[in-house]
Amino acid sequence: MSIRLEQLTKSFGGQRVVKSTSLEVRDGEVFVLLGASGSGKSTILRLIAGLSAPDSGRIQLHGRDVTDLPPQERGIGFVFQNYSIFRHMSVAENIEFPLKIRKVAGPERTRRREQLLDLVGLGGLGNRYAHQLSGGQQQRVALARALVHEPSVLLLDEPFGALDVKIRGQLRRNLKEIQRQLGVTAILVTHDQEEAFELADRVGLMERGELLEVGEPEALYARPLTFFGATFLGAGTVLVGRARDGAAQLGALSLPIPPEVEHEEDARVRVLVRPEQVALSAEPPERGVRLLGRGTIVEQSFLGALRRLRVRLPAIPGTRQASPAVYGEESLLVDAVLPAGEDLSGPEVWVSLKGWHILAPPRPRILACDLPDAGSPAPFALLQALEGPLDARISLLSVTDDTDRVEALRASQTERAAAHGLPDAEPVVRRGEPVAEIAAEQVQSLYDFLVLKTPESGPSEVLGGILATLSTPLLAVQEAPASFARILICTAVGEPGKADVRVGGWLARRLGAEVTLLHVLLDGGEPAPWVKAHLDAGLATLRALEVTSRTALRPARTAVQGILDEAKEGDYDLIVLGRHAASRPAAGRSRRHDFTFEILSGSGKSLLIVPPDQ
Amino acid sequence: MIGRRNGAGIPVGLLVLVLLPLILMPIAAVFVFAFRGGPGEFLKALRTEDAQFALRFSLLIAFLTAAINAVLGTWAAYVLAKHRFRGERPLAIAINLPVAIPTVVVGTSLLLLWGPIGLFGKLLAPLGLQPMFTPAGVLLAHLFVTFPYMLGAVKPLLDELEVTYEEAAYTLGAGRWQTFRYVILPALKGGLFSGTLLTFAHSLGEFGATVMVSGNLRLRTQTAPLYIFAQFEAGKVAQANAVAAVLAALSFVIFFFLLRYSGTTGKERT
Repeated sequence: MSIRLEQLTKSFGGQRVVKSTSLEVRDGEVFVLLGASGSGKSTILRLIAGLSAPDSGRIQLHGRDVTDLPPQERGIGFVFQNYSIFRHMSVAENIEFPLKIRKVAGPERTRRREQLLDLVGLGGLGNRYAHQLSGGQQQRVALARALVHEPSVLLLDEPFGALDVKIRGQLRRNLKEIQRQLGVTAILVTHDQEEAFELADRVGLMERGELLEVGEPEALYARPLTFFGATFLGAGTVLVGRARDGAAQLGALSLPIPPEVEHEEDARVRVLVRPEQVALSAEPPERGVRLLGRGTIVEQSFLGALRRLRVRLPAIPGTRQASPAVYGEESLLVDAVLPAGEDLSGPEVWVSLKGWHILAPPRPRILACDLPDAGSPAPFALLQALEGPLDARISLLSVTDDTDRVEALRASQTERAAAHGLPDAEPVVRRGEPVAEIAAEQVQSLYDFLVLKTPESGPSEVLGGILATLSTPLLAVQEAPASFARILICTAVGEPGKADVRVGGWLARRLGAEVTLLHVLLDGGEPAPWVKAHLDAGLATLRALEVTSRTALRPARTAVQGILDEAKEGDYDLIVLGRHAASRPAAGRSRRHDFTFEILSGSGKSLLIVPPDQ
Repeated sequence: MIGRRNGAGIPVGLLVLVLLPLILMPIAAVFVFAFRGGPGEFLKALRTEDAQFALRFSLLIAFLTAAINAVLGTWAAYVLAKHRFRGERPLAIAINLPVAIPTVVVGTSLLLLWGPIGLFGKLLAPLGLQPMFTPAGVLLAHLFVTFPYMLGAVKPLLDELEVTYEEAAYTLGAGRWQTFRYVILPALKGGLFSGTLLTFAHSLGEFGATVMVSGNLRLRTQTAPLYIFAQFEAGKVAQANAVAAVLAALSFVIFFFLLRYSGTTGKERT
């Protein structure tokens, strides 16, 4: 192993820019760190070089722990984006500089310098100064200078970022050739996907300080694990359907999920279709083809050998689009490519899939409301207890109407989160009025859970407002328990909700909790057959999730009374309620009589309120 | 170039007309008056013990001031350019303050601080130390007054250096001192040169602060400008003019170097 990083972390001003990153780079390999600006890729490079010290973690170069060594003693070569050629030195002096520092004798210095000048194709330009060279030539000097002392590892920070496209391509080929010739291990940082694909033996994809996935370029392109990988590397369409019987359902189309992709029955599944995997035809395709539907070509662009097309299809039930994201678009958009010469007779085309790829299930995301002014500070202890078992990414949302406070809020939030053992939590500050902003944030980013602490004084205006526009399961936290060991799922009210069993069961599985499925018998006597069927279906779902579960039937005068009685006797930590049309307060009725509010104040327990499936 | 443009004749002529009595004629007058009695008289005036001392003392002080401030100013510029900290701007303003304050006021404040009844002076008096009205006091005043010039010449160059310049040197194996010596310092050469010359020139001509802190003691703390003033007051115009002519000539030489050097570095940088 040439380079080995173990759980490196780095923060600047309270912000985690590198989140526990581990990586191994093999001898002689070119490893490309690819990511958008601000993703932490350059920081990792600077940590390896010793230009910046990690907060925690170790760095090994060729088996030697260099974490505490200064850059001078790491035996690395570094090429900066801005070249950093010493302007008062000639090209020759620049290249000899590392040798001069190492007290290499004059003749040997000259020999090596000439060798490197030839290698980078600058023979005869040794007497020039930086201002007499083009950008590309300066970059070559920087490369020669970084290699002349024969470093074991070459680090390149966006080395071609400041050059025009044509020179970039040429320099890339040169770099690859030189690297092969010398066999030096290299890490290159770039935001240019094309560059990564061309140069890399392996690519590491970075987003928000996290190394999301690592792989060979072709594998990463064909089989990305994450949504970011799917959309950042090349074009493509990502559709979201549901898992049923081992297949992803997109309307009538059923795409088998390969066994290596972990998925849960009825969970959301994301399907990536690259443009070249989309087949378009003017005639209805023959049977046996994976037909997505019939649509209209809405955009075309000519790319030389290929033509890129975007087709709009009418909405497919139970299917949502995740990418390409177009605001306000309800129909589906599918990107495709055709050879430039190929012609379709009209704008109406049949769209079928020649191939597809199922993405791994995403890490769940929790949006925790942090509204101390409204009596609802973020319940940090609970969030900390959830983060690990759920493998969740936590965002902390605060809302202010004061523009000047935004930065201060963000900083204090980061600080408080870190102090409560949540250094990776991401602060989100919105301006405006809490209820509206919480609703907007839910819509703009996809979250799996919303967390809100109920004020000591009882259910608040904010909670009522959130319930009215709920689109994400809401965890209304009261007297936060350290964990949820016993969960009560109430299936009794209104139409049987599948979503509450699924969400509650999923949570129970991750937390190792026991589940009781409750049905309240309002009329006394024997339960109706549909109730039994419904409970059995619920138990089956829970069993499939490997959750210890049982059912409970409780006669009571009202549903609320039944739930409250069970909650009291069973000593549950969490009550799961579906939020269906029937449970919403009718117009004119006060919040006090809201079903959810009654259980919340009556039980004193935390509630998980699950909206029905969209 | 301007003169060759069409229609430039009148404005340029006007400018020269205004500058003539303001700048050019007074300078010429110094030389005219200095040599009115002929070269013999001029040399005689320069050979008096007081004049000799004043000129030598001025040169010595200017040399020391320039040398010390070259080091101090570069160090201060390096610290200011490299580190970002709270109160950076106020500090930068405070350092440049001596340029804005009349030098007489600087002299007065130094007296108030270090003089026999001053804040620090009182503490030093029992030890038999008395920095004011001594050559050391003059040096102190000159260091203080000229400090911003050195900083002003070096800091812009440091600010212009890419941040990665130093880091590049580190990754190539150079230690801190080697980086400073081989990478930073050579890049500052131009600024150091012009800053040192500027400091030297200012020190040579310094009057306001010097007159306050030196006590104007002949053969002990009297610099050339003080000598000129004293001779004028005593009505010995020839004596005054002889030294004035020497000072003016020295300044011309320095000015010439400054112009030449900053001219060429300017070209190199673009």
